[in-house]
Amino acid sequence: MTQKILEVEKLNKVYPNGTHALKGVSFDVNKGEFLVVIGLSGSGKSTLLRCINRLHEPTTGKIHFEGNDITSIKGKPLRSLRSRIGMIFQHFNLIPRKTVLTNVLTGTLSRNGVIKSIFGIFPEEDKKKAMDLIELVGLSGKENRRADNLSGGQQQRVAIARALMQNPSILLADEPVASLDPATSHSVMQYLKKVNEELGVTILCNLHFLSLVRQYATRVIALKDGNLIYEGSPSEIDENWFQTIYGEDAVEVTID
Amino acid sequence: MKGNTETLSLGQEPKGVAQMKRVITAFVIDLLHWAYITLVSYKIFYQKVIMGMRSPEFSWNEPVYALTIGAAIGLALFFTRFSVGRAIKGLYEIDENQGIAKEPFTLLGYFTVFITFIAGLFISQVSLREFFSEAGLLGAKRIFTALFNPNFGIIEPAIFAAIETIYMAFIATVIALPFAFLFGFFAARNLMTASPVLFFLYNLTRFFLNITRSIEPLVWAIIFSVWVGIGPFAGMLALCLHSISSLAKLYSEQIENISEGPIEAMTATGAHPIQVIWFGVVPQIVLPYLSFTIYRWDINVRMATVIGLVGGGGIGTMLMQYQGLAKWNEVGLLAITIAVIVWVMDYSSSKIRESIK
Repeated sequence: MTQKILEVEKLNKVYPNGTHALKGVSFDVNKGEFLVVIGLSGSGKSTLLRCINRLHEPTTGKIHFEGNDITSIKGKPLRSLRSRIGMIFQHFNLIPRKTVLTNVLTGTLSRNGVIKSIFGIFPEEDKKKAMDLIELVGLSGKENRRADNLSGGQQQRVAIARALMQNPSILLADEPVASLDPATSHSVMQYLKKVNEELGVTILCNLHFLSLVRQYATRVIALKDGNLIYEGSPSEIDENWFQTIYGEDAVEVTID
Repeated sequence: MKGNTETLSLGQEPKGVAQMKRVITAFVIDLLHWAYITLVSYKIFYQKVIMGMRSPEFSWNEPVYALTIGAAIGLALFFTRFSVGRAIKGLYEIDENQGIAKEPFTLLGYFTVFITFIAGLFISQVSLREFFSEAGLLGAKRIFTALFNPNFGIIEPAIFAAIETIYMAFIATVIALPFAFLFGFFAARNLMTASPVLFFLYNLTRFFLNITRSIEPLVWAIIFSVWVGIGPFAGMLALCLHSISSLAKLYSEQIENISEGPIEAMTATGAHPIQVIWFGVVPQIVLPYLSFTIYRWDINVRMATVIGLVGGGGIGTMLMQYQGLAKWNEVGLLAITIAVIVWVMDYSSSKIRESIK
């Protein structure tokens, strides 16, 4: 019996403008798996991820994280929940004009005091951990470079290090390679795989390319117009499923 | 994406009403346009050119007649292709291949610009005869000779006055800074639409800023020189007020343009809202703020010179005094001093702004 880290039950999300982004989505995430969410742009993938760490408020439904109901917590409990969920983004979302080290250290904001962090004071062990993580993502020697001067792939690796700084039990990745070229995409996915296998961090990742899904995912769910329409192993997605998920006219493009 | 769809749903009206509004607006534009053409033709071409009057009498009947005639012509031509109003409101079917370059309404537009240009020549009393008159050229020669032979005897008070001007501009900028910083947040649309109270504050701040900004610092200097007496303090207050409104507007635009990404990322780490602002917002705005502020100081030094002319102290006041006494050699020295300050400020502020990009 595998242990569940996240349980999503009948999740609905309606935006103020009436867009019904998620329609009763239910699924579980097992500890240690690499779960990939696929679907067209606008199918609700990003909304789903943002509901889990409550960057967006779910309209109805329940989310349990490590056994606790987190659907409507607020304030300090919410911040402490977010600190246990790492997140990386399509556009990296690093802080411009700050060094790689500072960017990685922002992963510790929730456990370090407001005043100290504003004056840039971080504990020595956090700094050491940050240096170790910068090395882990293959950027040693670049810790004092400005983050916005790095290439896209390097910026995404800084973002991974920042997320790992939180000691997360799960990592949400929202289209982590969508703005990268094929070679860099693979390198970033390799780092995510490494994080998953070596550090045992559960990964919930949105992806576009099926070839990447087949290569890295241990399990797949698919969204279409806010409905969950597929749940299974990546190898089971055949031509028929592909056209159901992406539409009749879709042609599969590979990335290698 | 969210914002767009919201405005779309707000902007929806019954189609007939919207069309009616467009037609009425188009007709009002035509009416005013023809009234303008009528009035300008009458005042400039009939009274000045044909009748040769130097200063024609004006009566309030004239614009009323012009509006009536404008309404008549506008109505008569509204259904032809001469209607500028319909063109502006997009009520004509335009042939994509032909473009609008040869349409009657375009030609009418050119005609309006042309008569405005002619009227402008008459109203600003452009006269080549006076520009090249013998007495005029002699005067110009006298003043230029004096300007190019500046009286270095007053270099000491001139430098002190210049220093006064620079410091006055600096203090005006520095005092304006915290106010502008605060108002900048209140005037940033993206931060202020969360609740009705905030939105009211936003509109109030915008209103106050627009009012203070639309009154020239020159006018504020006159007001303050009566209030606190002629001198640098009055000039400083005038510059300060204007700097607050201008900087706050620039700051708020900067806040409106920041990328949401870092804010989202900081929120996702579980950071406290203050940490989110400090790490997610501030790094994105601090350099543009610095750049705007230095540029503002540069502008304030220039404005301080002009404000001095109306009693705001500094080198401008000194210039006004010597000009009043027709001491052109002294004026020459002051003109050179001002040029040097403005050049140095302009050069150094652009260099500083470049290096902190």
